[in-house]
Amino acid sequence: MDNLINRVIIVGGGSAGWLTACILAAELDLSNSNYTVTLVESSDINPIGVGEGTWPTMRATLKKIGISENEFINCCDASFKQGSQFNDWQGRTSTNPVYSQDSYIHPFTVPVEFQNINLAPHWQPYSEQVCFADAVSTQSVLAKQGKAPKLITSPEYSFIGNYGYHLDAGKFSGLLKKHAINKLNVKHVIDNVTEIHNDDSGFINHIETEKNGAIAGDIFVDCTGFASLLIGKHYNIDFINKQDQLFNNTAIAIQTPYDDPNQDIASCTLSTAQTNGWIWDIGLQSRRGVGHVFSSDHTTTDAAEIQLRQYLTPTIGIKQAEALPARTINFTPGYREKFWHNNCLAIGMSAGFIEPLEASALALIEQSANFLAEQFPKNRAIMPIIAKRYNQTTSQHWTQIIEFLKLHYVLTKRTDSQYWLDNVDPKSMPDSLIENLELWQHQYPYRLDQAGYNPLFPAASYQYVMFGMGFKSNPIAKRQDKQIEQRAQQLFNENRLRTQQQSAVLTSNRDLLNKVKKFGFAKI
Amino acid sequence: MPNHTLVNNIDHKDTKINTERSAAYGDDIWFTQTFPAEYRSVQAYYPIFFTKDENTGRFFSVALFGFQQNENLFIKDNRWSVPYIPLTHARTPFLIGEQALMEDGIEKHQRVLFLDEDHPRVNTEQGEPLFLEFGANAPYLESMADMMEVLHHGIEDHNAFIDMLVELELLESFTLDVELNDRSQHQMLGFYTINEDKLAALSSEVIAKLHQNGHLQAIYMTLASQSNVTRLIQLKNAQLGL
Repeated sequence: MDNLINRVIIVGGGSAGWLTACILAAELDLSNSNYTVTLVESSDINPIGVGEGTWPTMRATLKKIGISENEFINCCDASFKQGSQFNDWQGRTSTNPVYSQDSYIHPFTVPVEFQNINLAPHWQPYSEQVCFADAVSTQSVLAKQGKAPKLITSPEYSFIGNYGYHLDAGKFSGLLKKHAINKLNVKHVIDNVTEIHNDDSGFINHIETEKNGAIAGDIFVDCTGFASLLIGKHYNIDFINKQDQLFNNTAIAIQTPYDDPNQDIASCTLSTAQTNGWIWDIGLQSRRGVGHVFSSDHTTTDAAEIQLRQYLTPTIGIKQAEALPARTINFTPGYREKFWHNNCLAIGMSAGFIEPLEASALALIEQSANFLAEQFPKNRAIMPIIAKRYNQTTSQHWTQIIEFLKLHYVLTKRTDSQYWLDNVDPKSMPDSLIENLELWQHQYPYRLDQAGYNPLFPAASYQYVMFGMGFKSNPIAKRQDKQIEQRAQQLFNENRLRTQQQSAVLTSNRDLLNKVKKFGFAKI
Repeated sequence: MPNHTLVNNIDHKDTKINTERSAAYGDDIWFTQTFPAEYRSVQAYYPIFFTKDENTGRFFSVALFGFQQNENLFIKDNRWSVPYIPLTHARTPFLIGEQALMEDGIEKHQRVLFLDEDHPRVNTEQGEPLFLEFGANAPYLESMADMMEVLHHGIEDHNAFIDMLVELELLESFTLDVELNDRSQHQMLGFYTINEDKLAALSSEVIAKLHQNGHLQAIYMTLASQSNVTRLIQLKNAQLGL
């Protein structure tokens, strides 16, 4: 009888803990079941508050846990994110007006008809006239114009251009916490965990706390961030260090409020390459969050901070750029050898951490929590099977994230520092990436490359980054199918027309956010 | 720039309002806003649906005159072919405004009538005069002033009605599929109507409340009005000679 899994104990608040609590509580339907979810968090620890960008998956997640989009946007200082814009990554100059700026966008919308036709080979002959993203989606053009991804008449969570969010992570976990406790029946304990006790089989039986004594559970989720109390300190699960592939291990973050409350808000996360790292720039409703993430093996924190303040100077003036306080975060890029051990699993930074180049932190939390919620083990006998699959899937995700992030670096032509030279050294590349690059010399990345598993980044993302970086395939000659060629031309033309139509009706991000504040989206 | 002036018997001594109905006078609209206080009259001739204001995303109820932009199937030979014209449209070229005035040292607000001077109906030759020979209000102006009062209160109640529909989640989107006599198919998107399953599932307490403020009747009026889609299709067939 003891073998049933009913009591979930989540250790650690913050975005990881509360998001996991909400997803589990919503799926397990706590008010109508025997399940309980208890979140234990220390009052002494300030959440690190990284992860200010989400993927479009967050819309489905919020909807599922029952938070209204209006409430979310207004509570979390949130804005719409339509993708990432990479500036100065290629390190090439061109006289062609299409490529005169060293900049490309990886939009959230996949190329039109992506499931039916691979447009890449049909675009390549026209690559001098139009950049890939502009040819196959409307989003990159609209994002450059600062347009919102939807209208005030669009229902909550529905879209014209696929979008995620930029948000204030502290406010976000505050909203999730309130929702989890008040609406989803999650139990909240504020206390410090002092000890962790196993039963005879090595499974965690209970945690010991300072004021509330023993708290027993059937399954324990480690959301303690870098502290990694359960999976790291208690179970000593190995950490796989990936710094030899992704060099960045330090971040300096600065927040800068807008002078004008009606300042335009960028539609993308801006990512601007530096000599030894890159700077993120995220526009919320009331402020920008900027940060320099870099490799401490290649430069010093002082030098990186100077670069960050120099980056800010043109937009906020030298006085403010010099005065704003900065916060430094050190991390080791990598992930655990295992994420689920016995009856304990790690979600969030306890599981792993990597530079936020594609804002994967919150997305991975959603993936992990959804996996646990959907595959929730009924009893201990079944748990090892689910744990094995969870570990396989999550390892695959981490491997892919690292491969995909590295892809952003390896196609650069920058030679201005050892950092970039080291980045294009094959010794720093995952084997799978070397293989894929070899393959893509002669064929275009498409679905078959990823056959057999559910990838975190679809082939579309690879196309956007590779062609954005100026990659060209040199395919073998094949039979030309006239019909497919005509269809591709038709899709390009339709896309151009649709871009103009959408541009005409969509307003700016700021304008739409002001309307959300005043009127809100309707549910339908 | 709109040119709105306060209606008065000096500036508008000779002003007349042309009451002909045609595209030239802005009657080529395919729907106009309506409100519960006039639903009884409206549902006699027009389908009542809901749509969203494109600037605010808020719902409002409309009386439908046609199936596409600029199509008003009720205009024929410079006349409106049925006796009732919804007030939000019948009011043109008048607007309602508020004026602050001091009375015994206290600031009060009163509703006043404005005229859109640039509206093609406004002229000095043809139509209904606003004032009589010695400056008294003409009957036409009196009727317009009454209409604007009804409209003002009607819109206030309409907004409460919409808030209730949204709160109880009684609206659902639907697609109107129309087939004309030549078998051509037409689809209309962007309209909403009452979700009858949700309406049927309301508790008796909620129903009683809706009954008390007249909103229950309004809901059923909109449902009853749907049969007028058939009339619209007939008008369309007739117009196309089908």
